[in-house]
Amino acid sequence: MRSHEWFVEHRVDYATGVLDADDALTFEAHLPHCEECRREVARIEAELAWLPMGSDPVAPRPGFRRRIIQRVLEGNRSRGQRWLLPAALAASLLLAAGGWYAGDQRARAVEAAFAGEHVRLAALEDTLSIMRGAGRVLQASVQVGKQRGGLVIFADEVTHRWNVVVHGLPPAPAGGRYQFWFICADEMVRGAEVRVDPARPMMFTTGMPERGGTVMGAALTVEPVGATDGPPQGKPLAHLML
Amino acid sequence: MGLERETALRHRLAARDEQALVELVNLATPWLLGVAYGMLQDRDEAEDVVMETFLTVWENIAPPSGGHPGLMPYLLRVARHRAIDRLRGRRRRERKLSAAAPSEWSRQAVAPVVPDEAGHPGWQVHTQVHAALVELPAEQRAAVQLAYFQGLTHSEIAAQLGIPLGTVKTRLRLAFTRLRITLAGLKEWVL
Repeated sequence: MRSHEWFVEHRVDYATGVLDADDALTFEAHLPHCEECRREVARIEAELAWLPMGSDPVAPRPGFRRRIIQRVLEGNRSRGQRWLLPAALAASLLLAAGGWYAGDQRARAVEAAFAGEHVRLAALEDTLSIMRGAGRVLQASVQVGKQRGGLVIFADEVTHRWNVVVHGLPPAPAGGRYQFWFICADEMVRGAEVRVDPARPMMFTTGMPERGGTVMGAALTVEPVGATDGPPQGKPLAHLML
Repeated sequence: MGLERETALRHRLAARDEQALVELVNLATPWLLGVAYGMLQDRDEAEDVVMETFLTVWENIAPPSGGHPGLMPYLLRVARHRAIDRLRGRRRRERKLSAAAPSEWSRQAVAPVVPDEAGHPGWQVHTQVHAALVELPAEQRAAVQLAYFQGLTHSEIAAQLGIPLGTVKTRLRLAFTRLRITLAGLKEWVL
């Protein structure tokens, strides 16, 4: 049995975490019964709150910050929608693959019928090359009213271009339009307006924005028709973090 | 960070604003890695600690109130406690103890500030804490370095330095008493 004097003497040691394990356990067992020690330990912790900043900072390895954000947000989502993710991924990839196949077939027909349309064909092949060479494929399900669609990004990490597929969405609600956004380190940067065709997936290719800092992810919102500047004002539909 | 910015950031985090999370990760990660790596001396483990820290904070963040510590001190404390837990769980402690030479930790304790990094967020606090550490007598600074920044316990420090346990306790108490006075005035992370 320790005297109260012992606890008074070891408050700083406990608060700074330098007590031996047995002593630390003894102190912890004492705390719930002693308001004075609790108050003093809290005060010491507050006074020394900045002491850890005496450590030299360490530069994170490339991609570490992105992994943190992705992991934290995944943990956030998985609690509520764990079962949805595999299903949505499968559905999205099937639809995207369908769109890719249809686009490829159409390109072949165009090439045969209109030899002069080489430029258009080259653009389409470029788009497909991103999908084939994509280092990462990200997807999110999108719910608009009763209709469920998806947002898929094929990210080419060599050329830093994305092929974006939006599928299964109804026409934008009256007075609104679908807007694609880049989630950047400094701000949300407006990307392309997404004009959906309910009959087939909508697909576009984009480079990275020139401002806003490091690109951390992307989002899809419904924006008021008149809103062409500034941060998102409308309803968020989906977001993806790299 | 400034108090207003910290309050705003905390409100946004509590509201699950993902852009606020991005800002916090950008600001805090180098410092949290520094704390964890200083103790664990293992890059992968230090990253695990930082990851766990952000997961914990994201789960538990509440809007600012009088009863909460500052955001950055909260992060630092969580990271440090996580690192201590890992450190204490290691079975390889003896090897670590024998690997740390006194001359090495003594030098690390007062590593000079690199002028080029003066613009780094948080660097001002770092230099102030450094200055407080430098003002300590060398034997007290060494004890703080081993105890606080490398996570060794009283007994381990006594064994490491070859001095009586009571002497370790005395040096640490004197040092922390002085640091409490010096650092208590630091209220916010001035960018």
